[in-house]
Amino acid sequence: MSSVNGKGPSGRITGQTYWRSLNEVADTPEFRTFMHREFPAGATELLDGTDRRGFLKIMGASMALAGAGLTGCRRWPKQHIVPFAARPEGMHPGKATQYASIVELGGIATGILATTHDGRPTKLEGNPEHPGSLGALTGQQQAMVLDVYDPDRSRGVLERPGEAASRAQSQWSAFEAWWGEHAKTLGSGSGLWFVGEPTGSPSVRRMQRMLRGTFPDATWVTWDPMASAQAGGLDAAMGGDLRPVYDLAKADLILSLDSDFLCGHPDALALSRAWASRRTPKHGEMSRVIMFEAGLSVTGAAADDRQEMRTADVAKAAAMLAARVTGDRALAPGAGGPTIVEAAMDDIADLLKAAHGRSLVIAGRSQPAAVHHLAALMNESLGNAGKTVQYVRIEQPEMDTADLAAFVSAAKAGTVDTAVLIGGNPVFDAPADLNLAAALKKVRNTVRLSSHNDETSRACRWHLNQAHSLECWGDGTAWNGMLSIQQPMILPLFGGRSTIEVLALMAGETDTAGFDIVRRTFQERTGKAMTPAGDVPTYDPDWRRALHSGVIAGSIPTFETPPVRRSVKALPSVAKGLEVNFTPSYAIGDGRFANNGWLAELPDPLTKLTWENAVLMHEGDASDAGVEDGDMVRVTVDGTSIEGPVIVQPGQKHGTVSIALGWGRTFPGRVSTDAGFNAYPLRTSGGMWYRGGGSVKATGDSTELARTQDHFAIDSVGGRGTQERLPMLFREASLETFKNEPKFAQHVGHSLGRLSLWQEQQFEGAQYAWGMSIDLNKCIGCGDCVMACQAENNLPIVGKHQVLMGREMHWIRIDRYYRFTSDGHGGFNTSNPGTIAMQPMMCQHCENAPCEQVCPVAATIHTSDGLNAMVYNRCIGTRYCSNNCPYKVRRFNYFDYFRRDPLRETGMLQVQPDYYVRRQSGGDPLRRMQFNPDVTVRMRGVMEKCTWCTQRIESAKIQARNAWVKLPEAQKAAAKRVVIPDGTITPACAQTCATQAIVFGDLMDPDSRVSKMHADDRAYALLDELNVKPRNKYLARLTNSAMGERYPEDHGGHGEHGHDDHSAAGGHH
Amino acid sequence: MGRYHYVFPKWSNLVVPLATCVGAIAPLYVAFIVAWGFSPETTDVGYQPVQPVPFSHALHAGELGIDCRYCHNTVEVSPHASIPPTQTCMNCHAMIHPDSDKLKPLHESWKTGRPMAWVRVHDLPDYAFFNHSAHVLRGVSCVECHGRIDTMEVVRQAKPLSMGWCLKCHRNPEPHLRDPDLVTQLEWGWDMSDAERLAAGAHWRETNDLHPSQDCSTCHR
Repeated sequence: MSSVNGKGPSGRITGQTYWRSLNEVADTPEFRTFMHREFPAGATELLDGTDRRGFLKIMGASMALAGAGLTGCRRWPKQHIVPFAARPEGMHPGKATQYASIVELGGIATGILATTHDGRPTKLEGNPEHPGSLGALTGQQQAMVLDVYDPDRSRGVLERPGEAASRAQSQWSAFEAWWGEHAKTLGSGSGLWFVGEPTGSPSVRRMQRMLRGTFPDATWVTWDPMASAQAGGLDAAMGGDLRPVYDLAKADLILSLDSDFLCGHPDALALSRAWASRRTPKHGEMSRVIMFEAGLSVTGAAADDRQEMRTADVAKAAAMLAARVTGDRALAPGAGGPTIVEAAMDDIADLLKAAHGRSLVIAGRSQPAAVHHLAALMNESLGNAGKTVQYVRIEQPEMDTADLAAFVSAAKAGTVDTAVLIGGNPVFDAPADLNLAAALKKVRNTVRLSSHNDETSRACRWHLNQAHSLECWGDGTAWNGMLSIQQPMILPLFGGRSTIEVLALMAGETDTAGFDIVRRTFQERTGKAMTPAGDVPTYDPDWRRALHSGVIAGSIPTFETPPVRRSVKALPSVAKGLEVNFTPSYAIGDGRFANNGWLAELPDPLTKLTWENAVLMHEGDASDAGVEDGDMVRVTVDGTSIEGPVIVQPGQKHGTVSIALGWGRTFPGRVSTDAGFNAYPLRTSGGMWYRGGGSVKATGDSTELARTQDHFAIDSVGGRGTQERLPMLFREASLETFKNEPKFAQHVGHSLGRLSLWQEQQFEGAQYAWGMSIDLNKCIGCGDCVMACQAENNLPIVGKHQVLMGREMHWIRIDRYYRFTSDGHGGFNTSNPGTIAMQPMMCQHCENAPCEQVCPVAATIHTSDGLNAMVYNRCIGTRYCSNNCPYKVRRFNYFDYFRRDPLRETGMLQVQPDYYVRRQSGGDPLRRMQFNPDVTVRMRGVMEKCTWCTQRIESAKIQARNAWVKLPEAQKAAAKRVVIPDGTITPACAQTCATQAIVFGDLMDPDSRVSKMHADDRAYALLDELNVKPRNKYLARLTNSAMGERYPEDHGGHGEHGHDDHSAAGGHH
Repeated sequence: MGRYHYVFPKWSNLVVPLATCVGAIAPLYVAFIVAWGFSPETTDVGYQPVQPVPFSHALHAGELGIDCRYCHNTVEVSPHASIPPTQTCMNCHAMIHPDSDKLKPLHESWKTGRPMAWVRVHDLPDYAFFNHSAHVLRGVSCVECHGRIDTMEVVRQAKPLSMGWCLKCHRNPEPHLRDPDLVTQLEWGWDMSDAERLAAGAHWRETNDLHPSQDCSTCHR
């Protein structure tokens, strides 16, 4: 099955064609069913075993009974208003406040602005002043706010007394007493080991110093399952603990050696912002990204050129390039790789050399230390060092350090008396060959500090509940070394304590309050004096400023560019045969977010899979194994096996499979239970990111995969509709084409006569005309906007079962299309897509909105400033609007996902419990604390859709007008009209977009950014031919490929692709 | 006679016209009763719950002339006017009537730090978002929605607060506008003619460039 025969009815399929999935290319019955039904099969069924007729019967009867027993005529229930006893200064009930803080992942702090409503953190946004955020935040970082309200969080201290099998509830005071006694037995601490997560917290380092004072021989182990060999590689290359700081804005050519630098890299937000700054084709120039990788990544999808190669071969390719770039033949790999084309390496080396000082080589986390060394060497040789890349020195723990393997062997040797495991989840994610769980059994005393009573906690004697980072004081370091303070938004909900507080306690400090620790660290780090009594001063403007702005000014260390050593270690050898690649899950990372419902339901950017992971295979490998999408396979490496479902993934290198880590937790959470399979058992110390010599065998079983890519498709009939319409939906061209024909995007498709069926929407007397634009040349499809929308607009999660029925509730989705090239035999080369198109899709706020025409109760109508408003309290749930929406952006509440009382529905009306009982939902009072009180919580039977964050628009309007009415009268008379400055209003999606692909503003203001975008050469309105006049415009994508022109010059539309039945009507120009 | 024994009596001729009359009137009657019985004017206006402390607006706001914003101090910046914290009451009542039985819950709250639980009088549906600052700053007086609070011993709901009632003003704001500096002077305008009030309203509408929105999304978000 190297290619699937495209069987469009007309047989006119030619080179450039887009498909959503392989199902669609094959035109399978499943896909057809999806296309022909407005809502997916089952979506209109109430619940299993009950049909509409039965439902109506019961409803009729209950109405009659309700009428008889009507008590009616009563005001709604009595409500109380509970003000503060003493309201804190500056607090305005009902008004959201934002506080600057940080969230830390993988030891890298990212600045946030946490929105709090009446003391509850409800939403996290990026801090524009923080170098690691620049205003954006990844989906995972945004979803961390939901973790605060995770009903499965650990709510207290647990202890397993003596040899007991189970653990009992305990208290912090009991632990303190135990530790006080126990610490006396530890002596110099030679039997005391700490296993912690990587962190850039100066306070943690200061506490380590305290610990070293108390226990000079204690050892600190940093364990990060997502760690790369970068530190080791750069140490070998230049000496010291270095981290590369890239400047993509200065890079004309970026070569990525399997680095997913746009999404998944710890500094991805800053990197993608800089990358995007070079994706506006000013003067016909754009940067170029060349990607080497085995499995398709977000960066690979956005790259201009993508070379599929085994992950092991990326190292070989790096060595070949290094030899060419530096001219040092000694660097060339020993045995030439048969899978790498020498000529391609010649070309790339020439391109790199041509962009001397303006190019950049980035090595990815999967690559061995030698490749990071080679990348540094190439950057130096290409004159990039000091221009597109510099290095910053990172601080190491202030204790004796060792790696996890050393800890395990010490534990097995019985020399570990006490192990303190802080954060992370090493029992779940440590390399399988270490067998950490068995080693921990040999440790006499194990103490665990963590947010959940998880796999690791269950293997420990003491479990201490950890405060969430939004609940405690702390500090951290950005990728580029800038320091920030972490301040709490709320007191610890369950009395948890932070890492620094517990370390202070263990070090025997008297003052273990988090604030005091952080405050003192700040005093030390900024080189300020203590008071004569040895305390910090009560008032310090610098401290206040650091808290307010979220960064400590002037704390970025000096960047360096040390000379790179020429002698590079030999590349590791990898077994031949099937290569198994491990990747962090785009949704749940290394598994720490496995119980986060928002992330579990966030579709993977590429597979569009929710709620689980899969074995991604090349179609050739899949057909060899006799499997297709959803079939279960057993993946075996070196005698160890795991089982999981298959997804045949275009763009996967033949002979490799990719598996996302983090899923398959055994921690029994509401979300994490039964979600995906665990790939960590295949991972070993020697094969952290890929292993050769694997095999894949069908087990004979199969499963249903909840993938969203075929849901809410906006073309009418599978194959043919796609073939004819997608080139119009997603418009793209090469940079060359664009130079010759800048308005190419507007020449695709049809301009029909503008005779409207209806009376056109009038906007007389409108104050504003809201509009949006989305630059497809900048969108990377990461899904951060989906998370922002979810947090802002109180969107429910619905569970895998409901996603399978096409009932996901995301207001914004990212349509992902593959463009396959012809294989020359009437079919398509479906294994290697020419381009991967990402198109965010939300309500387009059509001026002639088709949904409004069919609503029988006027529940969706237009506002004077051009919004297509949805009035929930009018909606009766006919779903006609969704039927009539050409963009398929409306979502229906099939259930009361946020229902008040889960016990109320019993008997026939009880629905499958996973929507709200097992999943995080409104039924839990804790979960409800996250709600945004400025947005209605919708209930069953109501249609909803993107509002362009109308609550933010209204709030900005009120703010602007409040300020305006206070102006002096003369000034008001002169200005005449209240102006809301451009950029004041940003919908949640636009606010968090790292690449700033989404722009929102007032189209009445000709100088607004959105007006300029709408006037851009590349701007086009989607489904313009329907004359619905969307207020959103897309900017066509351009690709700056060097590896050969992949676009036919007849770019759709005018040629044989674009004609459809409308053109016969004579409207074609 | 004969078969005439079996006909309906004469009065039965009235059955059909009577039934027609009743049949015609009854639905109207039911419709009226339902419309009237369920209207906010019936269900909400006049709602006057008992509060934990018999706080008299007539005394504080009326007789003593304390400005509304002394207690409801977030009304110009926040969507909510905010019921004051116990602390605000204690500014005076730490000295005035410190031993009053009626103020016992208040002093209890101040001692324990447990807030008071006042009963909500003016309650909008959860899907309607009203913003106090947007109205008060533009010259819509408290009295327009809350009535003469300064004469009420016990606060009662004076206006229906229904959507139709809101829209009346949004369609024709002039009669309800005044100098934003005078919004808490509830008795303002009693000595003015309708024409004078309209002129004042028109002036402030013009000055502040007011366009009260009738779009759904203004209040329903």
